[in-house]
Amino acid sequence: MRQRAIWSVAIAATLALAGCGSATGTNESNGASGKLVVWDWKSGDKTAAGYVEKAKADFAKKHPGVTVEFVAQPFDQYYTLLGTAIQAGKGPDVMMFNGGGQIRDRVDALVPLDQYLAADKQRLAGWDAFTKAGKIYAGPVTLQGHPIYFNKAHYKKAGLDPSKPATTWSGFLTDCAAIAKMNGTTCFSLGNKEGVGIQFWLSGLGSGILTPAEYDDWIAGKRNWTSPNVKKVFQLWKEANDAGLNNKGGNSTTLFTDAFGIFDAGKASHMIGLMSDIGHWKEFNEFLGAENVGVMPAPVVTTGATPSLPFDGGIGYGVAKWTKDPAIAADLVRALTSSAALQSFYADAGAIVSDTTISTSNAGPAVATLISQLKTGKPALHVALSSKTQELMGRLSQQILEGTVSVDDALKQLADSDKA
Amino acid sequence: MSVRESSLLARSAKAGRPSRARKTRPVSDRLAPFVLIAPAVLILVFFRLWPLLLGVNFSFTGDGERNGTAVGFDNYAELFGDPVFETALRNVGLLVLLLPVAVAIPGLLATFIFLRVPGHRLYRSVYFFPAVLSPVIVGSIFNLMLAFGGPLNQVLEAAGLGAVDWLGDSRIAIFAVVAVHVWATFGMALVVFLAGFSTLDPALLDAARTDGASLPQTIWHVIIPGLSRTIQFVFVTTMIGMLTSMFGLLYVMTSGGPGGSTYLPEYYIWIQQGQMNRPALAAAASTVLFLLMLVVGLAQIAILRRSGKED
Repeated sequence: MRQRAIWSVAIAATLALAGCGSATGTNESNGASGKLVVWDWKSGDKTAAGYVEKAKADFAKKHPGVTVEFVAQPFDQYYTLLGTAIQAGKGPDVMMFNGGGQIRDRVDALVPLDQYLAADKQRLAGWDAFTKAGKIYAGPVTLQGHPIYFNKAHYKKAGLDPSKPATTWSGFLTDCAAIAKMNGTTCFSLGNKEGVGIQFWLSGLGSGILTPAEYDDWIAGKRNWTSPNVKKVFQLWKEANDAGLNNKGGNSTTLFTDAFGIFDAGKASHMIGLMSDIGHWKEFNEFLGAENVGVMPAPVVTTGATPSLPFDGGIGYGVAKWTKDPAIAADLVRALTSSAALQSFYADAGAIVSDTTISTSNAGPAVATLISQLKTGKPALHVALSSKTQELMGRLSQQILEGTVSVDDALKQLADSDKA
Repeated sequence: MSVRESSLLARSAKAGRPSRARKTRPVSDRLAPFVLIAPAVLILVFFRLWPLLLGVNFSFTGDGERNGTAVGFDNYAELFGDPVFETALRNVGLLVLLLPVAVAIPGLLATFIFLRVPGHRLYRSVYFFPAVLSPVIVGSIFNLMLAFGGPLNQVLEAAGLGAVDWLGDSRIAIFAVVAVHVWATFGMALVVFLAGFSTLDPALLDAARTDGASLPQTIWHVIIPGLSRTIQFVFVTTMIGMLTSMFGLLYVMTSGGPGGSTYLPEYYIWIQQGQMNRPALAAAASTVLFLLMLVVGLAQIAILRRSGKED
């Protein structure tokens, strides 16, 4: 018995002192000769079939001897599976990422692609979301943004002109009250069960609340969490909910996809949505009719703020460090971002793709407005935050709505998290 | 060397003559037992103990930029400074407190079935139905039922009681999830209780009835003492079920929210490893959960052993 005790103490002590090896594995090279493996969560979709086919064909022209295998992973497990692959130091050669925190947290496992993708820099947009410390780690496929959609039919019914939505916050509130009275709808459709609602709120309305200088500083990493305008974002989050602008039970409504469903069903008049994938103009067009889907700039809260469309690179493909020949893998990334492939992705999936040269006519007024706003658009505010801060913001946003955490306390915690 | 072998040796030493059989036994015979147990031991060592030790080891390394370097107890310090992990541990405590309720419900229902309330045959099968559903399906069903505009709230509003945000209120959400878990799993405990009832001596119940005992008196003085071992067993299995199989429900019903109020250690580990890219921190949380389960497990073994001795 005593010996057993000594042994367990010895083992525990060795482990505690050693802390050897690493939880994320060392990078070993993985054979990629003749075959490239791609991981994503899109290639299994019916709407992406044409896109994958075109990209494969384009790649086969350059490297006829290399076969490409697409492995579609379920999205809700994707980063868990990828994390395991990164820990093992083995996995796919090319992999899909969301722009922002998800890729920036994992650049250790990626090859910088600047030298390989230089020729595409002009043609494609959305690079910032895949850049860390001045180096590019993925080629952008889609653009993701957070425009404010509105239901034009609700505006008409309330006697408002849907071609001239309110440009100021007070005007917006007046319109909302009128629309709610006529249609019995709420102003916003809010889903914050995942804690994502606050991200859309921050980015969707941020350009009307922060001054242009504050906005640019925020994106550049100089975030002043004590500034009155930043505080205003979170105060309005609380006030809007308290004033009944949102559907009830926002904290137990999923953004994906219950909240979009509320807007689709015409039970809410406005929705801070997406540009690509889901909860976007194409989905809304199908439910509400293309002629009823409008896009409006953020209402101005702070004088001097200039509303702009918040958008970033949405999804993109990066190259793993352990791939045998990064140049070949980078060529596959180029094929996946070629004009022909992206044109097909836009047409089939309704994604706003990163290629600004493809034609987007005949898709309704909402998409035309979106495309026209891309030129003046800026990166979204929440994308600049680390995934840890985003997660904290999600939790705090739920507590703010509940009233268990004050806005000041939340901002303090966020400032600490953002600094760390 | 087994106890029996050594006692044999001791006995032969006392007798003052060396064991003949032992001297002449061939080497292959002596090795045979080791060869025979080798597969089981190797599987245990390589697939259970080794990963366990690796996990504990990784919990003392860093994440991200400090990947691979020894960081001592930094991960543990971060863990116990994290309010979310604190909530997760507090929720484990809450589960322990709610355990008697989770055991009492199937116990009481099984008693009614045993006492042959009208329709007891139907109830016996109906109560078991949810036990065959996966947590994801159960969670989805209750997501719809408990949604703010869902049927339950409509009934409450019709009755003039006002709607409750079952899954969106941090004071209520964890109880809602536990209630759904109990609903989904009590069928199994019910079956165990019914099996226990079949061993109950009917003569005692008849005697109680003859003496004019009321139903509560029968339950308290006859049924509960007669079923003490079954009750203990159900306590142990329900505890294990609560600590290890609520992930699916949490994932589907609350995603740990609102405000992190429904986190459990498992969910925390999954978030850190999968979403936050912090495998070493997740390893530290896993180690804490392992130690917690070890304590619970040892306590359970002690309880089971004690109840075994009562025979």
